[in-house]
Amino acid sequence: MPLLEVTNVTKKFSGLVAVNQVSMTVESGQIVGVIGPNGAGKTTLFNCIAGALPPTSGSIMFNGREVAGKKPYEICKLGITRTFQAVKPFGSKTVLYNTMVGAFAQTKHLHEAEHNALEVLKFLHLDHKKDIVSKSLTLPERKKLELARALATKPKLLLLDEVMAGLRPSEVTDMLPIIRKINEAGVTIVIVEHIMQAIMNLSEKIYVVNFGKKIAEGVPHDVVANEEVIKAYLGDEYVATQH
Amino acid sequence: MHKLLNQKPVVLVMTALLLLGLFLLPILVTSPTLMQIFILVILYAYFTSTWNFVGGFAGVLPLGHSAFVGIGAYTSTVLLQTYGLSPWFGMLAGGLLAALVGVIIGLPTLKLRGAYFALATIAVGEGIRVLVENVKEIGPFKINGPSGISIGLSENSFTALQFDTKAPYYYIILIMLILVLLLTYFMMNSKIGYYLAAGGEEPEAAEALGIKVSRYKVIAMAISCFLTALGGTFYAQLILYFYPKSILGLDMSYEIAFIALIGGRGTILGPILGALLLRPVSELTRIYIGDMLPGLHLVIFGLILIIVMRYYPKGLVEPVTHILNKYVIRRFSKTDDLKTNSAADKAD
Repeated sequence: MPLLEVTNVTKKFSGLVAVNQVSMTVESGQIVGVIGPNGAGKTTLFNCIAGALPPTSGSIMFNGREVAGKKPYEICKLGITRTFQAVKPFGSKTVLYNTMVGAFAQTKHLHEAEHNALEVLKFLHLDHKKDIVSKSLTLPERKKLELARALATKPKLLLLDEVMAGLRPSEVTDMLPIIRKINEAGVTIVIVEHIMQAIMNLSEKIYVVNFGKKIAEGVPHDVVANEEVIKAYLGDEYVATQH
Repeated sequence: MHKLLNQKPVVLVMTALLLLGLFLLPILVTSPTLMQIFILVILYAYFTSTWNFVGGFAGVLPLGHSAFVGIGAYTSTVLLQTYGLSPWFGMLAGGLLAALVGVIIGLPTLKLRGAYFALATIAVGEGIRVLVENVKEIGPFKINGPSGISIGLSENSFTALQFDTKAPYYYIILIMLILVLLLTYFMMNSKIGYYLAAGGEEPEAAEALGIKVSRYKVIAMAISCFLTALGGTFYAQLILYFYPKSILGLDMSYEIAFIALIGGRGTILGPILGALLLRPVSELTRIYIGDMLPGLHLVIFGLILIIVMRYYPKGLVEPVTHILNKYVIRRFSKTDDLKTNSAADKAD
């Protein structure tokens, strides 16, 4: 049984079809990438899985349970946690405080939450910043904090919404092993990303969406050679020059 | 508990001295007028601290909290006058009723953000005042519409919550304030506190981390309204005569919010600093120029608020803790640290 099975999910915003009959399967332990041009519907698809938006139709099975239409906090309790493309730290609070908010999903005791949060921060090499107020962090640090908070909830499935957007190439190179390390610790990951280098490097399987529709799926190597994908990214005229 | 006492010794000593001073105050101050001002300072610090549960930690700005002061005052008073029940019992009943009303109001309104919630609470608060002004009696309970209720004098006793002197009132409200501050401290250091702060600051991120934000806000609202109403009963027994405008009006709601904003929202010390600064202003303007310019104190509050927000957007608690840290705590801690270390060694 796959960990996550999305079947024919559609999301309409009064006439506009943002996600159109998209299906995808994620096996436990995988890193799966979702790519597509701007406005392709990647984040909307994410929002449907994470519960921020209810899908108009279709089914989302997680661990054998239907989660379509559930609220974000219910979905988090079931084991799916997401990060946000535009990072949303609790700005006036410290890094540790932020991470403890995540850790409280697993415990109601302050000390246990603090202990677990510190472990996550150490895992991400962010523990030396634990007393820094989160709004004074740099962007890569905020992205890491976003990860730390999500990890502290101990998810089975982590949805990463463009965690590398806005980072410099060297910072992207730093981030890749962290994501791989999280995966090796047993967390299944679905990642939406624009940065091809990152997603090709990480994913076992890639789904490509354009205009709300899935146009390709497969291993990274095959996907980049796919005509539809090249059209979507570079325009029709580039297809010919490839051959 | 150990975390509460696990402060720097100089902080503990300062707190102990402050408490000692506060408990000895009625012995040193004999003027009833002055005592009344002290009582009101503490009462407003109490109201603001209870307001803080929603206004400070849940990230919204309630501007109708006098409704809950009024519910506390009216409930205990009508129970006393109709059935002769002790105000202490009425206090509890008023608290429960206020919590219920708070939850009913909070369920739809706490989903609103920013100014919309503030406007909704003003509307509800004013609605309750107008309602009370236009109703002479509810069932067996006489509330006398706009002319209000005066509580008959009774014997000087704890059960009747009426005293000849000011000192007992002072001690009661002081203890109530200390208990609320302790509750605030424990809430800030618990899951509820973390969840409230998270939901107040970034509701979307909080929900993604498994927090049902609206539920925690409603819990905060219930706690806040319950505690505010307890203070309302105390206030009624202190002044013995009140009418809708005096106890349900926007003046009081605004004053509570002003105290919180100027002192520092979402902090333990903020309501106390704010009340210490603003309460005397409103008492003194009322005593000396209240006839000529009623409501002048609100103008002065506004000015103070503008100045404080300009320089210390987090409230006066920011510079005050800074000064305390820099000039008192650090200076005395150097020598104290050595002492505590050796003391800790012995304790081990």
